[in-house]
Amino acid sequence: MRRRVRDFALRISGLFRRGGMEHRLDSEMRFHLDMLTEKHIRAGVEADEARRLALAAFGGAERFKDDARDEYRSQLVDELVQDVRYALRVMRRSPGFAIAAALTFALGIGASTAMFSVVHGVLLRPLPYADPGRLVVLWERDVARGSDHNVVGVSTFEAWRERARSFDGMAGLVPLPATIAGAPTPERVMGAEVSPGYFRLLGVPPALGREFSAEEERSGGADVLVLSDGFWRSHFAADRTVLGRTLSIDGRPHTIVGVMPARFDPPQFAWLGEQAFWRPFGGTDNNRSWGRFLLVIARVKPTVSIEAARHELEGIAAQRAVEVKESEGWSSSLIGLTEQITGDVRLPLLVLLGAVGLLLLMAITNVANLTLGLVRRREHELAVRRAIGATSTRLLRQLVTQSAVVGLIGCAIGMVAAVAGVRGLMSLLPPEMPRTSSIRVDGTVLVFSAVVSLIASLSVGAIAAARGGRVAAQTLRESGGRAAARLRGGSLVTVEIALGLVLTVLAGLTMRTFSALRTVELGFDADRVVITRVGVSGPRYRTPGSQIQFFDQLLTRVRALPGVQSASVVSTRPFGGMGPATTLGDASAPVASDSLVADMRFADATLFRTLRIPLLAGSTFDTRDAPGAPPRIVINQTMARTLWPNGSALGKRARIPMFGGITAEVIGVVGDVHLMDARTPPRATVYLAGSRFPSTTWDVVVRGNVDPETLTRSLRHAVTALDPAVPTYWVSTLESLVSGTLARDRFTAVLLGTFAVVSLLLAGVGIYGVFAGDVAQRRKEIGIRVALGAPTSGVITLVMRRAMTRAILGITLGMGGALLAARGMASLLFGVASTDPLSFITVALLLLVVAVAATLVPALRAARVSPLVAIRVDR
Amino acid sequence: MGDKARGDVLQGTLDMLVLKSLQLGPMHGWGITERLDVGSERVLQVGQGSLYPALYRLERQGFIASEWGTTENNRQARFYKLTTAGRKRLAEERASWVRLSRAVELVLQMGEG
Repeated sequence: MRRRVRDFALRISGLFRRGGMEHRLDSEMRFHLDMLTEKHIRAGVEADEARRLALAAFGGAERFKDDARDEYRSQLVDELVQDVRYALRVMRRSPGFAIAAALTFALGIGASTAMFSVVHGVLLRPLPYADPGRLVVLWERDVARGSDHNVVGVSTFEAWRERARSFDGMAGLVPLPATIAGAPTPERVMGAEVSPGYFRLLGVPPALGREFSAEEERSGGADVLVLSDGFWRSHFAADRTVLGRTLSIDGRPHTIVGVMPARFDPPQFAWLGEQAFWRPFGGTDNNRSWGRFLLVIARVKPTVSIEAARHELEGIAAQRAVEVKESEGWSSSLIGLTEQITGDVRLPLLVLLGAVGLLLLMAITNVANLTLGLVRRREHELAVRRAIGATSTRLLRQLVTQSAVVGLIGCAIGMVAAVAGVRGLMSLLPPEMPRTSSIRVDGTVLVFSAVVSLIASLSVGAIAAARGGRVAAQTLRESGGRAAARLRGGSLVTVEIALGLVLTVLAGLTMRTFSALRTVELGFDADRVVITRVGVSGPRYRTPGSQIQFFDQLLTRVRALPGVQSASVVSTRPFGGMGPATTLGDASAPVASDSLVADMRFADATLFRTLRIPLLAGSTFDTRDAPGAPPRIVINQTMARTLWPNGSALGKRARIPMFGGITAEVIGVVGDVHLMDARTPPRATVYLAGSRFPSTTWDVVVRGNVDPETLTRSLRHAVTALDPAVPTYWVSTLESLVSGTLARDRFTAVLLGTFAVVSLLLAGVGIYGVFAGDVAQRRKEIGIRVALGAPTSGVITLVMRRAMTRAILGITLGMGGALLAARGMASLLFGVASTDPLSFITVALLLLVVAVAATLVPALRAARVSPLVAIRVDR
Repeated sequence: MGDKARGDVLQGTLDMLVLKSLQLGPMHGWGITERLDVGSERVLQVGQGSLYPALYRLERQGFIASEWGTTENNRQARFYKLTTAGRKRLAEERASWVRLSRAVELVLQMGEG
């Protein structure tokens, strides 16, 4: 063995280090020549003559150097070329094999490459900021409720920033939806308020101008702006003289001081979405009293471990909990920015990548099967070639070369398919998927693909060599005779069934999850409901009265539109993301720190009718709910049951810490509504009257026989008629919002479902291939059995029994694997247990059916074998 | 090259002879030809054209190993030496050579009794 390794190493070094070898040859020859010359001189010949004689004796020095060189470099390359030619010839002769094998390979490689490029883009590629591993997101932690990631109060943020020594910078952020004046219509754009130093913190300086200075943080932030590259191009035609010009935001002129580069992709998480501009954020006495609303990003010093930073922050939070009443019961938590942004999609993506891996394994198994089939068919040829002098090593090497050639062709097709596959995947990706812009087929992806291809080809080669080895080693006399090595792909069948079962179970569970989510009772009727947001701003709407008047008039006009059945306003539409929430309690009970957390929604009296939320008791708002009047609330069933489990909630009073602390009388109880998504169970919800708590921005909810476009247009007209400076935006149907929250589950279900179907096909084809080959190889034996009187059913049983033993073993193994895999993805499931017996049993039966169907054809063929085969001369 | 009295060496035999000459101790290519020349009383003259390919082949097969060394005249030369495998190989070849030459001798002596 050691000798063989050294032999190989020498050949390889001979191949690549030709220079060294030439040098050695030259030195040895020169030495030899010199010695020969000296010998002649010693014998009394003149020096010149001696040299001439030596050279003559030496003869064709170059020719014999060639011989020596050949010994050195070996025939490896020649043989390789021969083997590749041979492989291509075999493939030309068996095009069916070649096409099937290459396509199967292409499928495995293509799918895994495409999936990997998504995983790489979303999860693995570093965030486009300086040293992104040191960037963290800081949250306040609600200790009593075990809620880790709460937004941060302004004074808490300021205390952290002032006291913590572990960070190189800390910035608060808050999304800023704003109306910008413009022609022909005012426009609603999303921006953000950020602490000065935010861009430096991320390590991305503006392309033009400067970022905010520390002074611009004072008194709630100066009226200056940094624009995104996109906004600068669309609104200022990429004008480089834009600095110093003003832009009116919410009716206030702002001076443009900077433009970010095109490559700047601001972090998006929680409710921080796309950002077109930034203005400085600063703490004021006012916003310090608003409660918690800030997102905080910080950079941990390179000399400090993330753990130490977390520890320090917790220490500061503990001090604050003693010092400040509002911080009592609150600690802090810290999470890496990357994890914050991609944490939610990590598991689904990894599950999909794993599934694709299983598919690739099946593809490899199938190609190995096909190769074995080919070996089996060429058994006789191999034996003949061995008889006339081919070594079994050489024959084996040809098998491996052949797999490699098939593998290379398949991989080439697979990589091309992957590019198309990535495009397909991108169109399927759920809209909430972060970082989709960084998904692309790049060098890393191609290297991954090449490595996977190499491993796949070598695996097939290794399987073919291990199992085909006996055929290659057998002699002519043995071939076809009783001693013939029988190539049974039995264990390959087991593997295919097991892998197929795992994939199909995972697909079954996600599909059941998806259908369970779709059938969740949401508590409202989403059919034919269109929602748009309308926001007023500027001096005209400073007073609550003017805001109320505008929206009252708007609703009156909208209700008069043709086809509109009902129109209402609500502060945050259902399935429209996070809205405000607060702790509250029964006003007659003492304040407890673990009081109930309730979602808060502001609405007009007709919202429940428009959304068809049932009014279970009491009534809804009326003219009594005017500004300054005693606040009254409508609550949902969960809240009524939790706070007042015995007896009616009507007439009871709740203590609500918002608006400086109010107590409100319960006037109605409505049905529970899923506000966030279908997955999250509804929690306690309080509805407050929009007429009592006016606002500048509302979601206008309209039910009617109107298509969204027409409705938006007429709504737009209605708004313009009232005030042409008011923008309408974020138009959606309630149904699309609902299905939008299911996008991720749909994505996983669709992909896993597709993988499962493909895996069943692969398993079917694989099993068929094995047993068709098996029957072909055992024709003679079967013929003898038939000649001796075996009934047709006996022959069929003979074949089927072997297949079923393998299949049942595979199903057993697959069940174990599927149980493990399903447990790993349990957190993605909904409405179905990860051990759901129905899914497991159904899938097991399905696999059994596939196995039976795939074996039946070869079994029937076996049953038709004529007894004459038994007495016929070999081949 | 060379007159008819001097024998050309069959390739298989050459390998054996090279191995044998290295049994006496490590030697460079030139030294090996000298050893064979002297040892065969000038009958066997091995040309470089056969010797070096044979040396490289034997080295690749692991029967001999080589390294740079210095001759008694202080010159750099590649020295070859027998490996354990080579020693074994020599014994085998020698045994089969004895058998073969005895067989050939027997055939040639037929009827000369």
